[in-house]
Amino acid sequence: MILVYSVGMDLAAIPSPVELIELPATQIALAELVLLAVAGGLLGAFVVLRRLAFFSHAVGTATFPGLVVADATGFSATVAGLCVAVGYAGGVERASHTGRAPGDTATGLLLVAALAGGIILASDVFESGAAVDRLLFGTAIGLDGGDLALSGVAALLAVAGTVLLGRAWTAGGFDSVSAPLLGVPARRADLLLLLLVALSAVAALPAVGALLVTSIFVVPAAVARLFTRDMRGLLLWSMAVAAAQGTLGLYLSIWLDVPPGPAVAVLGAGVYALCATGIGARSRLPGEEAA
Amino acid sequence: MAPPPAVAAHDLSLGYGAGPALEGVHFEAAAGTTLCVLGPNGGGKTTLFRALIGDLRPLAGEVRVAGRPAYLAQTERTRLDFPVSALDVALMGSLASGRWWLPPRRAERHAALAALERVGLAAQAGTLFGELSGGQRRRAMLARALTQDAAVLLLDEPFAGVDPASAELMTAVFDELRSEGRTLLVSTHDVESARSFDLVLCLNGLQVAFGAPGESLGREVLEATYGSDLVILEEPPERPVRAITVQHHEH
Repeated sequence: MILVYSVGMDLAAIPSPVELIELPATQIALAELVLLAVAGGLLGAFVVLRRLAFFSHAVGTATFPGLVVADATGFSATVAGLCVAVGYAGGVERASHTGRAPGDTATGLLLVAALAGGIILASDVFESGAAVDRLLFGTAIGLDGGDLALSGVAALLAVAGTVLLGRAWTAGGFDSVSAPLLGVPARRADLLLLLLVALSAVAALPAVGALLVTSIFVVPAAVARLFTRDMRGLLLWSMAVAAAQGTLGLYLSIWLDVPPGPAVAVLGAGVYALCATGIGARSRLPGEEAA
Repeated sequence: MAPPPAVAAHDLSLGYGAGPALEGVHFEAAAGTTLCVLGPNGGGKTTLFRALIGDLRPLAGEVRVAGRPAYLAQTERTRLDFPVSALDVALMGSLASGRWWLPPRRAERHAALAALERVGLAAQAGTLFGELSGGQRRRAMLARALTQDAAVLLLDEPFAGVDPASAELMTAVFDELRSEGRTLLVSTHDVESARSFDLVLCLNGLQVAFGAPGESLGREVLEATYGSDLVILEEPPERPVRAITVQHHEH
């Protein structure tokens, strides 16, 4: 299956930014991406620091076959996505404490299997057709109050988790051996982090799709990491970058008539590449220190 | 009735899957005791520490440590790329107060700053941990142990790779901790420094000796502990043998 998007570059058709807050559909999409920025920005900071970027990518992609089945059978996509994501997160956490953590190879195989399985289900079993690109890359105009409510819950839990567990996540990530000696329930805190990432990934599915949820978690925190030197700054900048990336990405998606997932992901990756290149060039100048 | 020991190992056997790496370990250290763990590379010192902190399950026997010990690891297992300052690291010790879900209180902040001052890092409180020198990083980790306020401190090769200035500061802090009545287990290669401890435990794949330095640091015990790595400097009559060790690193 080849997915082709017609990218119109007619400059006269550039939409006014006001359209983002005038149309009900884009209002919901904007609110959705801002709520996801809170969840993705906060949790993304720990995802990047704890080297869970591949996990966050895998947990989103792993939901794809489940979403295809749910879409074709009329079952709740949210419940199907949550079951797969939470199950995967629980399995990873359990394996990591029995010395059988799934390495990059196993995670890569899972990604291939999830994508291939989902495509086979969509094309040969359920004949999902146009629904596939929505499941993979999200939609800006098909969001509803339910999607908004789930993202709101994810944002609230991310804030609560960061406030209550932020010190435990930081101490456990910084020195995993000594954290339990400090009385930190490191294992339970790690499990909660994975579950919150899984829940937020499911909340992000309608807007950015199964394939690109990582753009919400990894890219903003990776950009913020380039400029910040403390946890508080990292968390705040990560949220700010995620919100700006989501807003601009939505605008681009409306302008270019593409799904919001790719617009947000490409924009974020471009910003990261520019910032990293700029900082790298600056650090090579005589007398300048690397950030 | 005698109080329970602060640290104890009973008929302990430890390993990593292919047979025991350390066996026959049996000792007790009362509260307020300083115990030196002596042995060559690969002799089982770090293996013993891993069992004491609960990171390695014994193949046989048991270990007991009173309360939650503070631990200074031999090899740096910390993440140098974390955006945490020396003060943040020292503050992590306050998590042991049991309020890990709340932000640090002012008193805990003061305690962390005092700990940094004690290890000579007050001026580097705001410096990123990853930007400190190796010796400074060890001192920051020691500051975390001080903030933790643990009754038992497990210090695995605390002077390994540390510059002389840092080593001097750390020695002064250990002396203070000793005078405060805390229990210290310190592993080292330095035979001569071991004589200043209350007890010495000699390991070389098994427990070679355990007891006061006067009993445990004779020529026979040292030769059994270090083999060909031992160099006898002096063996005066009626006085302890003076010796150094030559360490062969396989990496």
